[in-house]
Amino acid sequence: MKKVYKYGIWVVIIAFTLYNSVYFRKLSEMKAPAKTFNAASYAQDMLNNKLPAVTEKAITIDELFTQIKSQPNEAFSAYGHALTIGSIRFFMVKGAGEVDAIDESDVKLVTTGHNNVYIATEFVFGNAIRDASGLINLNDFSNTVDLSNISSEVNKIIRAKVIPPFKAVVKKGSKVEFTGAIELNQARLNVEDPEVIPVTLKVLP
Amino acid sequence: MSLNTKNLARFQSLIALVILCIVLSCLSDKFLTVDNGWNVMRQISVNICIAVGMTLVVLTSGIDLSVGSVLALCGAITAGLLKNGVDVPSGDLYIGFTLFGAIMAGLLTGSAVGAFNGFTITRFKVPPFVATLAMLTIARGLTLLYTKGFPISVLGDHFDFIGTGWFLGIPVPVWISAIVVLGAVVLTNKTQLGRYIYAIGGNENAARLSGIKISKVKITVYALAGALAAVGGLLVTSRLDSAQPNAGISYELDAIAAVVIGGTSLSGGKGTIWGTVLGAVIIGVLNNGLVLLNVSPFWQQVVKGAVILLAVIIDKASSKNE
Repeated sequence: MKKVYKYGIWVVIIAFTLYNSVYFRKLSEMKAPAKTFNAASYAQDMLNNKLPAVTEKAITIDELFTQIKSQPNEAFSAYGHALTIGSIRFFMVKGAGEVDAIDESDVKLVTTGHNNVYIATEFVFGNAIRDASGLINLNDFSNTVDLSNISSEVNKIIRAKVIPPFKAVVKKGSKVEFTGAIELNQARLNVEDPEVIPVTLKVLP
Repeated sequence: MSLNTKNLARFQSLIALVILCIVLSCLSDKFLTVDNGWNVMRQISVNICIAVGMTLVVLTSGIDLSVGSVLALCGAITAGLLKNGVDVPSGDLYIGFTLFGAIMAGLLTGSAVGAFNGFTITRFKVPPFVATLAMLTIARGLTLLYTKGFPISVLGDHFDFIGTGWFLGIPVPVWISAIVVLGAVVLTNKTQLGRYIYAIGGNENAARLSGIKISKVKITVYALAGALAAVGGLLVTSRLDSAQPNAGISYELDAIAAVVIGGTSLSGGKGTIWGTVLGAVIIGVLNNGLVLLNVSPFWQQVVKGAVILLAVIIDKASSKNE
């Protein structure tokens, strides 16, 4: 009789545990809404429809550097974005300047605020634009591969559609307007000669 | 040995911790702050869970090198079941797991892997070092197979609470590790199983002759170590909100270091859970201090190794004097 009680209690515990552990659904119903993530169209939509509003409101690079030099913590917190922990932050900036030199991998500008800025024209990689945009919410993505693919597709579009027309017309002395993303490390702060990953580039007539 | 020397030997880990804290407080003004204290406590919670399990194993004169991989496997299984459930395409069936269910599955996996370790060690007389070394590779491989090499991320706020939440002003991981420690203290000091563990580690033949079922005790101990590695896996996965396939690499070494620094004899039969907790705190404080002092990660490895070596030498010397 004692054994019956013992086994009975175990059956109740196991039944209770299982009841609270699993639930069953039809697989066809559960998996139907799942769509594969299309990073290319996401990137296209981001660049065409969402980023213009961000770049329009972006701080000028000269103003950003002035603020960073005087109040770095406030500037990083107000304008910096990042999807990861650590001291690296990305900033969406805009600016204008005159072309001082054209190299194989970048174009050097002297901005209206007399800062040297290098516009990347060859090696457009990394997550600068994606992260600086402040448009990405990690919880919207089920895996990090999708997130990486957004950057990859954004950079691909920039390399294909933004840089070639710019490189075709830019010359030393040209006046240029740009928007783009820069990366700064708050722990090793250096605002000398920053590299801008461009979002838009315009050579003024 | 005089009474004073005896007491000194008994509290050597505690004294070492106090000295370490004093030195670090002098060298870094960020060390002795409340935030840093909680930070250290959060970080050592995982090692405490694993090291408590390791202590039980070492007390039986065994070793478990698989705990880091088991941690990763259990974290991945918990995260995978919570996020993706199990598909049964042939029956058009989806089996979803509640938070409770996914956690139970992770803990059961850890226990099962640990029990398997114990089984191979007792049934086939495979040395614990070899059996658990093999399991280290097997569990890591299973983790990579299950995750396909990708992290399983975004697991929900309720799950994240386990690793990042606060309860009554104390981080949840600290509560969990405290419960683990208290449970293990009761187990080792107040239960028959605890006495058997010490007896087996002290003299296995004598324990066998006195009627203790060695295999049963050892399998139970390895299962407990596996379950505690799974608890560590839950904490790590929850804290990162992501099950990483390469989580827990070399965690077994930190756990063994905590056990050794805490005064548990690697030949078994001697040691306490509180000692291991102290050992884990010393390692945690040392790690934290070295980071605060901007010591290169390469040097950190050297310093940690030297501290472990020193602890063993002191332990051997004091054992000789007893």
